Amino acid sequence: MCYETTPMNNARRCPLISAVFWFAFLLLASGSRAVVAAETLEVIRSRGELLWGADAEGGAPYVYPDPTRPEQLIGFEVELADALAAQLGVKARMVQNQWDQLVPALERGNFDLILNGLEITPENLQRITFARPYYAYAQQIVARVGATNLTKLADLRGRPVGVLSGTAAQRLVEAFGGVDVRIYPGNVENFQDMKAGRIEAAVLDLPIALFYVREDPEFQLAGEPFAPGYYGIGVREADKTLLAALDEAISRLITDGTLERILRKYGIWDARQASLKNYQAEAVAKRARISTLREWPKYLPLLLRGAVTTVQLSVLGMALAMVTGLLIVLVRLYAVAPFRWLAQAYVEFIRGTPLLIQLFLIYYGLPELGIRLNPFLAGVIGLGLNYAANEAENYRAGIQAIPPGQMEAALALGMSRGQALRHVVLPQALRLVIPPVTNDFIAMFKDSSIVSVITMVELTKVYGMLAMSTYDYIGLGLMTAGIYFALSYPASLLAGWLERKLRYDRR
Amino acid sequence: MIAVEQLVKSYGATRVLHGIDHTQQRGEAVVLIGPSGCGKSTFLRCLNQLELADSGSITVAGVTITGGHPPRTGEARERQRQLRLKTGMVFQQFNLFPHLTALQNITTAPVVVKQLPAAEAEARGRALLAKVGLANKADAYPAQLSGGQQQRVAIARALAMEPEVMLFDEPTSALDPELRDEVLRVMRQLVEEGMTMIVVTHEMQFARDMADRVLFFDGGRVAESGAPDELFGNPRNERTREFLKRVATK
Repeated sequence: MCYETTPMNNARRCPLISAVFWFAFLLLASGSRAVVAAETLEVIRSRGELLWGADAEGGAPYVYPDPTRPEQLIGFEVELADALAAQLGVKARMVQNQWDQLVPALERGNFDLILNGLEITPENLQRITFARPYYAYAQQIVARVGATNLTKLADLRGRPVGVLSGTAAQRLVEAFGGVDVRIYPGNVENFQDMKAGRIEAAVLDLPIALFYVREDPEFQLAGEPFAPGYYGIGVREADKTLLAALDEAISRLITDGTLERILRKYGIWDARQASLKNYQAEAVAKRARISTLREWPKYLPLLLRGAVTTVQLSVLGMALAMVTGLLIVLVRLYAVAPFRWLAQAYVEFIRGTPLLIQLFLIYYGLPELGIRLNPFLAGVIGLGLNYAANEAENYRAGIQAIPPGQMEAALALGMSRGQALRHVVLPQALRLVIPPVTNDFIAMFKDSSIVSVITMVELTKVYGMLAMSTYDYIGLGLMTAGIYFALSYPASLLAGWLERKLRYDRR
Repeated sequence: MIAVEQLVKSYGATRVLHGIDHTQQRGEAVVLIGPSGCGKSTFLRCLNQLELADSGSITVAGVTITGGHPPRTGEARERQRQLRLKTGMVFQQFNLFPHLTALQNITTAPVVVKQLPAAEAEARGRALLAKVGLANKADAYPAQLSGGQQQRVAIARALAMEPEVMLFDEPTSALDPELRDEVLRVMRQLVEEGMTMIVVTHEMQFARDMADRVLFFDGGRVAESGAPDELFGNPRNERTREFLKRVATK
């Protein structure tokens, strides 16, 4: 089995672009949600392949790379997909897609169905339909071995608790109230932080809990499972014949015992699964589509609260970057050899590696050395140290653009090198570096969204979470883009004003 | 006042100064002439350590530096700075600080280096601007001044540090002919006041009128030296004659 990456995966790195993209896309689609006109079941049959959307990143035990043969995907959903495809007389092919973007990607037509632990919830039923469920899940609290006092939701009040972004667990714990909820993009990070002691417990779907507790003896199931629900295969609303075929195929897999065999193989069969046999779909009343623009008083304050975090992160991060960058460039240009090389190596290393990896190293790697930073501090340091390399290069370009005669004239007047830099070279370089540093500052506003991977909830993350629960990508996208613009435009105005003020070459 | 012994300087494999010896009395004005690339500017820049000689020694107003290597210790750096404090330098390209006004160009170094009180530095700066004929340009930025005015500010800037020796590196070469006189006038005034000076220049008239001694540089050596009447009127060296003829017909 092979899998491919859809463009959605890249869009995740650039949430603003994603918003604009959706805006353009939805305009083109002129309001119609199901864009695949042809009968999907026919398409699957003529193609000979069933395309199913899932996220294999941290996807155990659902879909994940085989640890011994990483190019091979395994998991109970992989086997279920193969069994279903066989029922339809075709082959199954997995399409890799960011988990919390599976529903929009299905609507876009990136694949035929979603098979990836998608809960049958009223929110999801607003947008897509579900075939009959293939697994009855429940929520499970997981804690470190020895934490015996955390057995029910009420015990978690006032404590830092991890959940997976966009899951039923997140909505459940947030609605419960009083819990310090930390939202993770994946399971691995969640358990990593529990190990580092940043969170005390996690609330997870039972299969995930069972799998990781078995893998790592440091963790235990705390208390009994609660809040049961069903995983279903999601299909587009228009695909009635595909839905019927899937219902029939799943029924057969249930009665002939194939499903039970697969679930037992991954150790996630329990008594609850008996209810799959006589599942009755509950009627869900369709709500009118939410327009966040019309209901802006409800949504704008949430976005603005995220924007405050974005501003704090960027301003502190940039301040750190500008000071560190100055130190680096002075060492690089004027210090003795070994220090000079170190400064240069720093710049090259930082510029040559992705910010995401640096953040992971700082946040998840440093605790192994005993340095445990909270997400905000880790975000500021990560952004600051990363941008320091850029600022050092900006400064270097600025300093080297000052004619050498300036330094010579200052030295000839008896100034030390330091005095010459301070009074002659740097003041002139300052004006030259204002435009590139401003560019970086504005870029950092947007780049700061990346710290959502270490559980910081800033503007883009708020946008993502609201978009997932309302599916109003246009309204929220416009509001979010508007806030980003309202923040960055004054910064560039200020830079322009500063640059004019520091002009000294007018005649 | 100035004593240079066996000064040698190379750029890579090219030797530009072949062991220069030079002594100069207080109040003496010496003019260096010679074809381009003969080493006269390099010699001048070695004197205030903008270029580091390979070997030889330089003494200016009692401060001696022996060539060979860049200053490594704090003490060596301090001696280099002391030597620079004894000398003032005027550059071909002026090298005024463009972000400072004419007055600030003059006052910055005395305040920063000599910790002169700002008011005192300003009073002295204004006096120096008056001396070079630019009393009304104190608040002008360099970009607002003509080349000749900029060079006069540069001279005032160097004088503000009260150097014992003034070095001029082709001070009028970057100027249009009609602007040269205003700079030369200031330099003449300095000679008359008894300033010890070394001037690298192509202004033969200035050399004739004002120099106590003229050195003709050729190929990194002092090919001929003497009083201006002597050197211009009756050059002994063949290369000097050729050079003077070329300059005269230009």
